[in-house]
Amino acid sequence: MSKENQKLKFKNQNLRIRPLALLSVIVIALLILSAISAPLIAPFSYDAQDTANILKTPDSTHIMGTDKLGRDIFSRILYGSQISLSVGIIATLVAMIIGVLYGAISGYKGGAIDNYMMRIVDIIYALPDIMVIILITIIIGRGFLGIVLAISIVNWVGIARLMRGEVLKIKEQLFVESAKAVGAGHWRIILRHILPNTLGPLIVTMTFRIPAAILSESTLSFIGLGLAPPFSSWGVLANDGWAALRFYPHLLIFPAIIIFITVLSFNILGDELKEAMDPQLRKGIRIINGA
Amino acid sequence: MSILRYFILLAILIIIGCSTKTPSDAGSALRLNISGEPPTLDWTLATDGTSFHVITNLMDGLTAFDKDMNPIPAIAKKWDISNSGKRYTFYLRDDVFWTDGAPVTAYDFEYSWKRLLEPSTAAEYAYFLYDINNAQEYNSGKIKDFSLVGIKAMDKHILVVDLKKPTPYFPSITTFMVTFPLRKDVVERHGSRWTEPENIITNGPFILDKWKHEYKIELKPNKRYYANKPLLDKVEMFMIGEISTALTLYETGGLDIVGIPPIAISHYKDSPEYRNMPMLRNNYYGFNVAKPPFNNAKVRRAFSMAIDRSEFPKILKGGEVPATSWIPKGMLAYNPDVGLKYNPDEAKRLLREAGYPDSKNFPKVIVAFNTNPDNQMVAENLQAQWKRNLNISVELDNQEWKVYLKRLKTDAPAIFRLGWGADFPDPDNFMNLFTTESGNNNTKWSNKRYDKLIELAAIEMDAEKRIKLYNEAQRILCEIDAPIMPIFISAQNVLVKPYVKDYKLNPMDILYLKDVRIEK
Amino acid sequence: MIKYLMKRIAFSIPVLFIIALISFILMYTVPGGPFDKEKKLPPEIKANIEAKYHLDKPIYKQFAIYIYNLVLGDMGPSYKYLGRSVKDILKDTFPVSLQLGLLAFIIPLFIGIPLGIIAAVYRNTFIDKISMFSAVLGITIPHFVLGALLILIFAHSLKIFPPALWEGWSNMILPAITLGIGPTAYIARLTRASILEVLHKDFVKTAFAKGLPYSKIILKHVLKNALTPIISVMGPILAGLVAGSFVVEYIFSIPGMGRYFITAVTDRDYPLIMATTMVYAVLIVIANIVVDVLYKVVDPRVRLE
Repeated sequence: MSKENQKLKFKNQNLRIRPLALLSVIVIALLILSAISAPLIAPFSYDAQDTANILKTPDSTHIMGTDKLGRDIFSRILYGSQISLSVGIIATLVAMIIGVLYGAISGYKGGAIDNYMMRIVDIIYALPDIMVIILITIIIGRGFLGIVLAISIVNWVGIARLMRGEVLKIKEQLFVESAKAVGAGHWRIILRHILPNTLGPLIVTMTFRIPAAILSESTLSFIGLGLAPPFSSWGVLANDGWAALRFYPHLLIFPAIIIFITVLSFNILGDELKEAMDPQLRKGIRIINGA
Repeated sequence: MSILRYFILLAILIIIGCSTKTPSDAGSALRLNISGEPPTLDWTLATDGTSFHVITNLMDGLTAFDKDMNPIPAIAKKWDISNSGKRYTFYLRDDVFWTDGAPVTAYDFEYSWKRLLEPSTAAEYAYFLYDINNAQEYNSGKIKDFSLVGIKAMDKHILVVDLKKPTPYFPSITTFMVTFPLRKDVVERHGSRWTEPENIITNGPFILDKWKHEYKIELKPNKRYYANKPLLDKVEMFMIGEISTALTLYETGGLDIVGIPPIAISHYKDSPEYRNMPMLRNNYYGFNVAKPPFNNAKVRRAFSMAIDRSEFPKILKGGEVPATSWIPKGMLAYNPDVGLKYNPDEAKRLLREAGYPDSKNFPKVIVAFNTNPDNQMVAENLQAQWKRNLNISVELDNQEWKVYLKRLKTDAPAIFRLGWGADFPDPDNFMNLFTTESGNNNTKWSNKRYDKLIELAAIEMDAEKRIKLYNEAQRILCEIDAPIMPIFISAQNVLVKPYVKDYKLNPMDILYLKDVRIEK
Repeated sequence: MIKYLMKRIAFSIPVLFIIALISFILMYTVPGGPFDKEKKLPPEIKANIEAKYHLDKPIYKQFAIYIYNLVLGDMGPSYKYLGRSVKDILKDTFPVSLQLGLLAFIIPLFIGIPLGIIAAVYRNTFIDKISMFSAVLGITIPHFVLGALLILIFAHSLKIFPPALWEGWSNMILPAITLGIGPTAYIARLTRASILEVLHKDFVKTAFAKGLPYSKIILKHVLKNALTPIISVMGPILAGLVAGSFVVEYIFSIPGMGRYFITAVTDRDYPLIMATTMVYAVLIVIANIVVDVLYKVVDPRVRLE
């Protein structure tokens, strides 16, 4: 127990000192907040068409301009953040849950079971991602559920492998041995001893997976296979704007910037968390004259 | 470190060293975009526009279209009609040769049409010849003896065709690629590879010189062509799927003709390079008349009247022609006066009469379409208009094309989107879609009077009388019963470089290149 | 070594078989068939088509026919591109994707790894921060945005490179960069992390203490040990690059294989779906084997069972 407390304290300490981490947390919090309060702060509804004001460049009424149906881009980005962020976070959570459980069981059991479970992972790995996604979206449909499931199913295997690796590392450690000697049940060991010690890498992984899921969703929407309208995720907006880049750049620039900021913040946060958890950090060797 | 420096240097040298020319613009070569790989160049099997663009420049048939889409003699120098319109006797020219020197004969036509109707060929367009005696029976395997089918080559230059009933539009059918002649020996010798450039034998203005699959096709003029030789030295047909990429290529000098994406149209409207032409392709939303409340014609008419179709060209920006009638512009019997005009007040009144005053208690409605950005835009606009004018909120739903089609066949939604492009420029091709018998009628609507009118018009030889019949039929289809609401006629929008001369657009979107020339 | 290779290859066969089976089943569970079109077919034509392509037989029979033909080297006809065999289609397009993938692979290899090394060695200095920030940028920009920007700047405005197509060397630069930036960034970050981890190992500290020349330490001891995690991701990355990126090939109109991963499914072109899946699976399997062999080369201590 004390070891875990130490780790958490360690993390907090370092976050407070690291300005970049703080900045990224603030940005992410702002994004999530604005997504939740979109109905309150958006000046227009995301589907309000104004065929008299088609493709207007940014001005005082429409601070990010309008699209080809006369809809306000700023409002659509706000509403879009609800979708993109939830797809990113939920798809990652689902993938994490499946992957963590699968990897934990596989690594913990070891032996033949581990072997078979990892062979299954190998096989799934060998299927092309994009094909699996398309097949799932054709069967389930291209709604929220379909896209979330498709992205999760394609991503859980990597997490499973990671988790298994971590579990293998920890399994041999003393406190697990002693727990077994005391006669603790398998689930108890997994849940109370192994999982908490993998928390660090898992959180870091999750922080990197979320932006990857958001990028997956935008790329899928770009090739026309992602969320189907009337959803207006950032990917859908970027797709709308892509073909018009030379004539109406504002259609692509604004969604691209927001995707960029979001993904960047998560990645920077992930980097910072990783550095913070690196036990070598504080006593690292200075090779060249650095900080 | 030094290894790294070496590679960076190498990379820089490579970049500098390579030429930066875009595809050659030397001589009299025409470069255009056909948007994708033709699924096949075998004209018995081809069904799509891309294949057609290529085939139409490689081959000629019995007849061809003039600039007004009327059939005129091509390989057939004339034809006689006898037996009250049921027998066509085609007289072929004797100066038409295949690219290997062999003459084109009536036997080549007979072989080609037999192959089309042969059950084992599994040709999707076999039904094109179903007007011919026993053609459908042969194709379905009911009769096995081809000599019973009404196609006979009497000698090298005479082809006799016997039809089930008088068919005034038959010379239009013989313009279509599935009726082009074929060389039996070539097809049998090379099997499914007979369309590869090294094997294929054709008779049209151009020869298939190179075919780099998924990338480009190169044509060169046919020196043996029986009519005016093409004025181009080479045609390069690129297969560029992303239309804005094609546009960039056009602007950087890589293409000579290009289609304009809707969003760019307003930028080029005033350019002398811009050309626009409506197509023989109409788009509609159909009602499943078996699903209440759309079993009530008043409700259907109300929905149709509540839409201001002039919004579509505004949002699609492609020069689309708003349509309230079904036969498209440019076709015989086109009549823009037919159909329900925009009238929201009248629409509301109709709804009240139907039992929904102020749209109270109107049931949930699903509006479906196949997934596509333009369909999406139009659907969202319809949704907004119905909300604005009728205070009814419909639900949009869309699916991938194949899944969508299946759904239409098994359980068509209340309101569904479809389009139709002319197979040949005759109104029968459009109007018979909605007869009771038609396999393409997803509305479940059946009207005996409509069926009768279509039947009569199909065998009527007099143009004036046909127009009258189709007017009445269109009124039933678009005004009175209104099982469909047409929305707009598609249009072509292209940019053509000023040095490309005599390139003419036509409403069937047929790519005629034989008269085109380059003047630099 | 040879025995090991043989064993690995032998093991791969059942894996590939299972992948084929799973793909086949998945393919058929999707609604819609290859010949459903806008214009409805009369039933006799539909029956003809289904007979010709064996679509009227039960699934297990179709699968058996497929495997039998596959072993004989026949990947089947394309259902969309009538008259062309799947093998022909791949023969034309796979080399293009291969060329593009290999070219793109040069960037993470020769820029990503050195960048990571430099960042690690000059850790926490300005150089490190700049390199890593660029790397983060690299994994943050989606392909379609990067591609669009490169085309806009270099093709449209500066007119140095052509905006699309695949005619000569100059066409390859922009798509290769677009494809390669992501993996480069990822490899750079990975390299940096891996080297840092090795730098803290005892034997390295010992080497410094012994006073060995600095560059020798980095190149000989550190790099060799740090390469392991990098090699393990290079395999799948190369396989992915070679299989063809749909987005990049689409934006630049490159006649590669990438598009079929998508279009074959939406067209329900079953033989082509199977072929693309199998090509990808084979690439991954080969990549894994190569990676394991490279482990042994890099670190003789690694035992291959």
